[in-house]
Amino acid sequence: MKPMLEARNLAVSFGGIHAVDGVTFAAAPNQITTVIGPNGAGKSTLFNLISGAVRPHRGHIVLDGKRHEHMRPDRLRELGIGRSFQITNLFFELTVAENLRLAAQLLEPRKHWLVPVRRSTLAGQRVGELLEEFHLAGKADERAGDLSHGEQRRLEIAVALAARPKVLMLDEPTQGMSHSDTAETARLIRALTDSVTVLLIEHDIGLVMDISDRIVVMHQGRKLADGPPAEVRADPAVQAAYFGHARS
Amino acid sequence: MLDRLSLSMRASHILVALLVVIALVFALVAWSTGDRFYLRLATEALIFAGLALSVDTLLGYTGLLPLGQALFFGFGAYVSALVLREAPSFWTAIGVVFLSTLVVGLTGGVIASRARGVYFALISFGLAQVVSKVVFNIRELGASDGLRGIPVLDIEFGLFSISTNAPLAFFLFTLAFILLLYALAAYLLDTPFGRVLIALKANEKRVPFLGYSVFGARLAAYILAAEIAALSGALYPMLRGFVSPELMFFAVSGNAIIGVILGGVGTLAGALYGSILLTLMRSIVGTWTEHHLIVIGLVFIIVVIFLPRGLLGFVRPRLEAVLSRRQKP
Ligand SMILES: Nc1ncnc2c1ncn2[C@@H]1O[C@H](COP(=O)(O)OP(=O)(O)O)[C@@H](O)[C@H]1O
Ligand SMILES: [Mg+2]
Repeated sequence: MKPMLEARNLAVSFGGIHAVDGVTFAAAPNQITTVIGPNGAGKSTLFNLISGAVRPHRGHIVLDGKRHEHMRPDRLRELGIGRSFQITNLFFELTVAENLRLAAQLLEPRKHWLVPVRRSTLAGQRVGELLEEFHLAGKADERAGDLSHGEQRRLEIAVALAARPKVLMLDEPTQGMSHSDTAETARLIRALTDSVTVLLIEHDIGLVMDISDRIVVMHQGRKLADGPPAEVRADPAVQAAYFGHARS
Repeated sequence: MLDRLSLSMRASHILVALLVVIALVFALVAWSTGDRFYLRLATEALIFAGLALSVDTLLGYTGLLPLGQALFFGFGAYVSALVLREAPSFWTAIGVVFLSTLVVGLTGGVIASRARGVYFALISFGLAQVVSKVVFNIRELGASDGLRGIPVLDIEFGLFSISTNAPLAFFLFTLAFILLLYALAAYLLDTPFGRVLIALKANEKRVPFLGYSVFGARLAAYILAAEIAALSGALYPMLRGFVSPELMFFAVSGNAIIGVILGGVGTLAGALYGSILLTLMRSIVGTWTEHHLIVIGLVFIIVVIFLPRGLLGFVRPRLEAVLSRRQKP
């Protein structure tokens, strides 16, 4: 199957630290590809390179068959790359519905840009769908800043998904969530693959093994292994560098 | 179903409608007493309220502090004065101001929109300083004296015309003109475009990842604000018959910002209320005592301490709550 997203030889360093050092991988459409690795392995930086937040020193991406050298994040979003953040990055003064509408209005044709918001029906409908899908309907008119941590993390995903990206990148979406919230969020993410290709960073190894179609293991900026969960788990190098620590 | 931002805008419209009622009652009283002084003062207050409106679109809705917004107010006033001296036509003057402000606003915007926070504020301040000092030193523009002898004007409407020398008629005309500018700002701020501006204020870092260009949105906001300021300024020489470099000075920008803070940052209607109150206070207190700045300073401090969101920042949320209850079935 032709991949939806490929990273080819991406690299960046920050003052001598090779945060990401020549990483290549592919994410198949409608699958969950998960990037794992210890803290500081370069996972978030890899996401920053793919989403245009950081300019790579080397490498490029291929999205849906088209090659793109570095582009601004807004252009990449228009091309179909949506992302969430490890540290919740919402419009905290705005309500839940306003956050979602802001993200969803990208769906509106350009000619609706100067038409009153209440008439942008496409965005309005999308907001309604997302409120249901992410169990936030009861909180629609609350300020995002007043939500619980778990609700904020859910809204973070919903905002990234609102304008129907081709690729949805989620950076530790369950971070700081309770056990039951984590399980619920995992179910939610699994359900998303009907319509979107998911690229995930996740720490909860049980969850990763459970929901991933493919796993990319990173260590000190490099890719250590790449394959289906069972294969990656059995890889001796991964055992040593990653699961080894986890078990001891 | 309206969300909270759209409800706020509706609340703002109601408060502006109230302001119009107050203005009309005032006009009636002034007309029946044959007053000229207060009518012309109120007209001036409305003109400066247009500048405050422009400040609030940047400060209250885009999160940018324009320390030098008087640059565009003064620009509009000078261009209007220059046109009127050559060809005394209101519509020509307004047309030329509008088009030239597009060019100047775009130029200033390309410079200023690269920056944000305190850097934007300083660039805005610097641009106004440079331009006002240049104008101050150009003899063809009247240097420190400014341009005088702008002729009295008949604003043609086909069926009738309004003389800028008729205090009541010109007051009502200015009221309608500033209302149009308010309507323009309020309309645009309640569109998807306006929501992107509001997003810039709330959390600029996330905006690019939603697919919107931060630079583009900031630039558009800057040009919009420049137009509102310049079009307001265009009325100034029609009222006063002259323009001077002081119109671009920091005192004018600063007053507009104080007016916005008094009225309530990000309330739009508040910019009109705050700025009008400030102009009236300055002038009326000024006739009692030459220490009027002390009085105004004290009022400002009291408002900031007791009504930190400004006059309308206090009133509007209550109005919103009523509107929101009426909206729920
Ligand atoms: N903007 C930056 N400036 C300097 N160093 C950075 C920057 N971003 C990331 N790093 C460094 O790059 C390395 C990888 O970080 P990160 O990608 O956040 O790791 P992970 O997400 O896997 O925990 C770390 O050493 C981090 O300190
Ligand atoms: Mg990280």
